[in-house]
Amino acid sequence: MVTLRISGIDCYYGSIKALDNVTFSAREGEVVGILGPNGSGKTTLLRAVSRTLKPRVGTVFLDDINIYDIKSREVAKKVAVVPQETTATFDFTALDIVLMGRNPYIDRFRMESREDLAIAKRVMELTHTWHFAERPVNELSGGEKQLVAIARALTQEPKVLLLDEPTTHLDISHQIEIMDLLRKVCKEKKLVVLAVFHDFNLAARYCDSVMLLSNGSVFSIGLTGEVLNGENIKRVFHVEMIVRRHPITDSLYVIPLSISRSKIAPSKDMIVHMICGHGAGAPLMKLLLEHGYGVTAGVLSTLDPDHDAACTLDIPAVSEAPFSPITEENHKANLAMIDGAKVIVVSNVPFGYGNLKNLEAAKAALERGKTTVIVEETPIQQRDFTNGKAQGLFKELKSKGAITVESCKEALSIIKALKNSA
Amino acid sequence: MNLSEAEAAYFKRLARWKIIVILLTLTLILTITFAVTIGPMHIPPLDTYKIIIKNIPFLGDLVGGESSSIEEVVVLQVRLPRVLAAAIVGIALAVAGVVLQGLLRNPMADPYIISISAGASLGASLAITFGIGLSFFGFLYSVPLMAFVIALGTVLLVYSIARTGQGVPMLTLLLVGIAVNSFLLAITAVIRWVSGEAMYLIMAWMFGSLVICNWNYVGLALPFIIIGVAVIYVFARDLNIILLGEEQARHLGVDIEMLKRIMLASATLITAAAVSISGIIGFIGLIIPHIARILVGPDHRILIPSSALAGAIVLILCDTIARTIVRPAELPVGIITALLGCPFFVYLIRKRKRSVIW
Repeated sequence: MVTLRISGIDCYYGSIKALDNVTFSAREGEVVGILGPNGSGKTTLLRAVSRTLKPRVGTVFLDDINIYDIKSREVAKKVAVVPQETTATFDFTALDIVLMGRNPYIDRFRMESREDLAIAKRVMELTHTWHFAERPVNELSGGEKQLVAIARALTQEPKVLLLDEPTTHLDISHQIEIMDLLRKVCKEKKLVVLAVFHDFNLAARYCDSVMLLSNGSVFSIGLTGEVLNGENIKRVFHVEMIVRRHPITDSLYVIPLSISRSKIAPSKDMIVHMICGHGAGAPLMKLLLEHGYGVTAGVLSTLDPDHDAACTLDIPAVSEAPFSPITEENHKANLAMIDGAKVIVVSNVPFGYGNLKNLEAAKAALERGKTTVIVEETPIQQRDFTNGKAQGLFKELKSKGAITVESCKEALSIIKALKNSA
Repeated sequence: MNLSEAEAAYFKRLARWKIIVILLTLTLILTITFAVTIGPMHIPPLDTYKIIIKNIPFLGDLVGGESSSIEEVVVLQVRLPRVLAAAIVGIALAVAGVVLQGLLRNPMADPYIISISAGASLGASLAITFGIGLSFFGFLYSVPLMAFVIALGTVLLVYSIARTGQGVPMLTLLLVGIAVNSFLLAITAVIRWVSGEAMYLIMAWMFGSLVICNWNYVGLALPFIIIGVAVIYVFARDLNIILLGEEQARHLGVDIEMLKRIMLASATLITAAAVSISGIIGFIGLIIPHIARILVGPDHRILIPSSALAGAIVLILCDTIARTIVRPAELPVGIITALLGCPFFVYLIRKRKRSVIW
């Protein structure tokens, strides 16, 4: 059982502290992602584990051996490093480069043996690099070079594999190829894989556990699903993120939002209430927030994408249990919210018997003198599933002075005009 | 490609390396035998060989025949030591060039880059101008010993200025080397300025010439060059790996700082030994490694021996031209290496369409 244990290390560059009391351990067959903003100490941590930068306090153990107590040759048999990019400015073939991985095993006065060659071949087949073994490495593409670098690391027959943003310079198909490969190798060869990522989605998809670094210390560490949540990412990176589990890959995916609410405080006196659902309202919610309007929403089913959006964007909303018609109680709560708003927007939602009450709420709003904007990207006839009742309500709304527009952008410009005239 | 094919290809390459070394060694022997027959005094080639063989223990007994003592003196005491001096100086400069280009990962590096040449020039100028006498085993070697000692001292100075707590950053070493180089050349210029008649001698020394090389000089430089080149060859694989970059080399178990110290010390020693007997011969240490890289590839296990042999061959040929082309006078061999080496090098670069030489 291979265990990598980092116990309370402090690393310095001169007098600048780069790592502060970092402790964690990883076991064989585990892919650990290291994430954090630039300058948070990710690469420094890799350097400490690869015996390149000796910590001033604490140390690194591999199976209870302090790696700073043994020779660098011995460490090279246990720990291999794949750099971010190989700057190959010379004419070695791919096989030459991979065989360099055998260096810690070959005595000074010996050449590579048949066994070394066999190991190199096995690893190169695993990494799909064997077919260009004889080609000069500086004629290879970036992705191929990176595969060669991984092959070289694996010929060291390490127990720990360290990678510093291994896919940063590669296109998407090579990113996936390399990460699939690394995960496979990690499980089959029982390695501890420690990799620095900038891409949350790659990390979320391929890491068993994740360490979030912030200013040189561990902000959070644990299973990927636990560590990578919107709150953690927001606090470490100061960026709003949507974190979801993808229905197909069943891995987390992370999408950064362009706004940071901490920067723009939503207006209190220009509140827009959105009658939406089915994902039709989310884009306008985001637009309105970005332009500094207060937003409320209702009534939304808790399984609705717009409900998700409202939660992510911290928008107050009245919510209803899934697949249930709107109750009288929630309808009233919705009307109360409408009372607090200046403008009501009816999004391009399909209407069924479940959410018909929302249209009645809009009618009530008009009757109370609120400006109502209808976004009608699709004609109501095509999204009325109430045998004409919704169409009837729509007609009423329009006759009572609701403004009809064809897109979210138009709605936004009307709301802007209203604000300016007010 | 299956494993046995790969093995075959791999071991075929090892065989090819052996053939390259054997062919170059034969060429070197041929070059030496050719060069010793050339000179102002006409001695038929056959007689030349007889004289040489006669003086090899055991083998000499098989060859009879008389030859006049004056011819024997010319061949054995003038031509042969000079040709051998050219050979060992060529070996030293080419190997030191390979090492420094690899260590600095800079194709423009040459053996003189960390100011060995400026130090040696200063030493030689002092010795020539002020007639400082230094003897060694009863012989007077003022110029070579001063050149040698001050060259080593200069590199030591550069090294200790460049050193930091963590080691010696190669770029710092390069920059300090350039600065010290300019400074020492300025001092040398001052000495030359005040040296009066000795100025010509200093100029000749700084162009590089093998004219003074006798057996004593060969004996003075040879031990350093043999030991230095042998040590460097032992670290050939490490020199390959350092081409990946220092940090990656460290990850492959190379003790970088130790490697740098040993390589710098060895390269400095062999360069200083060569320079002390030959003066500053340019271009061999810069160009031969590149030519060898183009011909045999970047692997130092073949690059070092082939550069060494090629360096010896080329310098012997250049020296032969230098001492015959304007007979009875002589040109400094440094001029010939530059005049012939540079156009040939440019030709090789142009011929090779790929931009990478290195």
